Amino acid sequence: MRGGSAARTEVSEGPSPRRRGTILLGLLVLGCSEAEPRAPEEAAATPAIRVVDAAGATLEFDGPARRIVSLVPSVTRTLARLGALGAVVGRTDFDTDGWAAALPSVGGGLHPNAEALVALRPDLVIRFAGEQDPDTPVRLDALGIPHLAVRPERIADILTTITLVGAVTGRTEEAGELNAEIRAGLEAVRADAAGRPRLRAVYVLGGSPPWVAGPGTYIDELMDVVGADNVFSDLEFLYASVSPEEFLARKIDVILVPPGSRFDLRAPGARVVRVPEGMDAPGPDLAEVAGALARTLHGGESP
Amino acid sequence: MRPGVRRGALGTALAMALGASLILGVRFGSVPVSTGDVLDVLLGGGSPIHRDIVLGLRLPRVLLGLLVGGGLALSGATFQALLRNPLAEPYILGISGGASVGAVLVLATGWVAAGSWTLPLAAFAGAVVAIALVFRVATATGRRMDVRVLLLAGVVVAAFFSACIAFILSVSPARTVQSAVLWIMGSVAHAGWREVMLAGAYTLPAGVLLLTLARPLNLMAIGEDTAHYLGADVERVKKLALAAAALLTAAGVAVAGVIGFVGLVVPHAIRIVAGSDHRILLPFSFLAGASFLILADLVARMLLAPTEIPLGVITAFVGVPIFLVLLRGTIVRQG
Repeated sequence: MRGGSAARTEVSEGPSPRRRGTILLGLLVLGCSEAEPRAPEEAAATPAIRVVDAAGATLEFDGPARRIVSLVPSVTRTLARLGALGAVVGRTDFDTDGWAAALPSVGGGLHPNAEALVALRPDLVIRFAGEQDPDTPVRLDALGIPHLAVRPERIADILTTITLVGAVTGRTEEAGELNAEIRAGLEAVRADAAGRPRLRAVYVLGGSPPWVAGPGTYIDELMDVVGADNVFSDLEFLYASVSPEEFLARKIDVILVPPGSRFDLRAPGARVVRVPEGMDAPGPDLAEVAGALARTLHGGESP
Repeated sequence: MRPGVRRGALGTALAMALGASLILGVRFGSVPVSTGDVLDVLLGGGSPIHRDIVLGLRLPRVLLGLLVGGGLALSGATFQALLRNPLAEPYILGISGGASVGAVLVLATGWVAAGSWTLPLAAFAGAVVAIALVFRVATATGRRMDVRVLLLAGVVVAAFFSACIAFILSVSPARTVQSAVLWIMGSVAHAGWREVMLAGAYTLPAGVLLLTLARPLNLMAIGEDTAHYLGADVERVKKLALAAAALLTAAGVAVAGVIGFVGLVVPHAIRIVAGSDHRILLPFSFLAGASFLILADLVARMLLAPTEIPLGVITAFVGVPIFLVLLRGTIVRQG
């Protein structure tokens, strides 16, 4: 393995019973889960850092990663929050914050440019778990570049991802603090919303007929935190186009529309609210996003 | 049965099928509304919600289905006659590609947020650009318009536009890609009276014009030289009919996206049952295409309600088996 600093135990991805079994076994053997940031410190002997990633693979490192390419924009923002930007050597086209502009881009977060990636000589690539881009892990294995899979889809995933990222960058303590901060922030938003009447909300991603967020999505979770109920919690899909008739028949208080999209159907009694860009991409700023959304939704009025 | 009687019976059946489709399309939808409530609304009463659903959504929706479905079938029948190619369909001149580039561009740049009119207008403009480009290429070789060159130009222009779409989508966020893919697969779910007006403004005049060209089209289907000797003004008929059919398609694709198979399958099905006299084929294709699209849209909104299925998916799922059965029947009859 390149540099001899990391080892990866391969586990097949995909929701097979075998994979689940392997993850369970891994957890038993290690006696810790990825949600327990203390583990790497307690294990004083080599390897210094050992984590199980979102794809179920076990990664071992002699020390914190020093040349990181994050293919996951929300993880790049987490690295910034943890003060680990010094170790970041590359970005994707979707990292457009000021500090990122100086770094070379490897293209998209899925199907990145392999040559650009190799040229950066990373000692760790942080990538999306899942089936959207099966080529990248295979290619990274062939090149001997360690890769950490993360799945930043739900609120709990974000906390887990922060713990993982903290562990591989040697910033376990900072990660713990950030997670505590996020939890407290979300609790505060939830507590504030609890005193207000629940709103019936729809998140329209765009499209015609309107394409909305259903149950089991991060949007659905976020609505719950800010004191709103998803009007389309009965959908059988994560996201789906729904009939314009439903906007007349269902009682809707608020229609949330991301920038660049338009909602021009009739929905009597509903307020159309434009949400900030990035609300549908969960990251380390999720408590701030929830707070901003709650203020927009409830319009600052007292309960 | 004599052909005249058989055609009369088929015509009556198609007209009744269209009437039934219209009734079903207004009666059933994602939200249950009873027959009594629907009748109340149609007679000028009913609750505001029922009025909004029936008059504001379902009625324009079925009427748009009628205009787009009928228009596509009519346009397909015309292209098949003019190009003397059984594979010809409304989108053969790159019209869907041009319209899709217009629509995808508006979705990717966020201009769609500027107003609900931007998307159909951009799609229509893209379709017209495609038509102009293809016609220009086809007439560049001489005074006469060569249908073989027209066909080739259409295929090449379509390939170019699909590369443009692939490029725009490859640099767009996932949300844009999803909206674009949904648009490309076609829908009349968002239909309002404005869409009905736009589709009607093109479909009705173009449809009437094509019906008046039925006799020369009969001659053209045999061959341009024969048509010329039999007294048809070949170039004029060709240009008028092509322009009418192309504008018909452009208007349809602008308001409903790319709905496949109607323009290909319906004229062939009518031809198998009623023969290839365009005086019969054209009006019957319009009636059958209209009913077919209204019923396909009914399935699209009812099958997984409240989720809407793209209309193009249903037209292919339903149209292809029907067509294969008809085709098999013809082959068996011809032995």
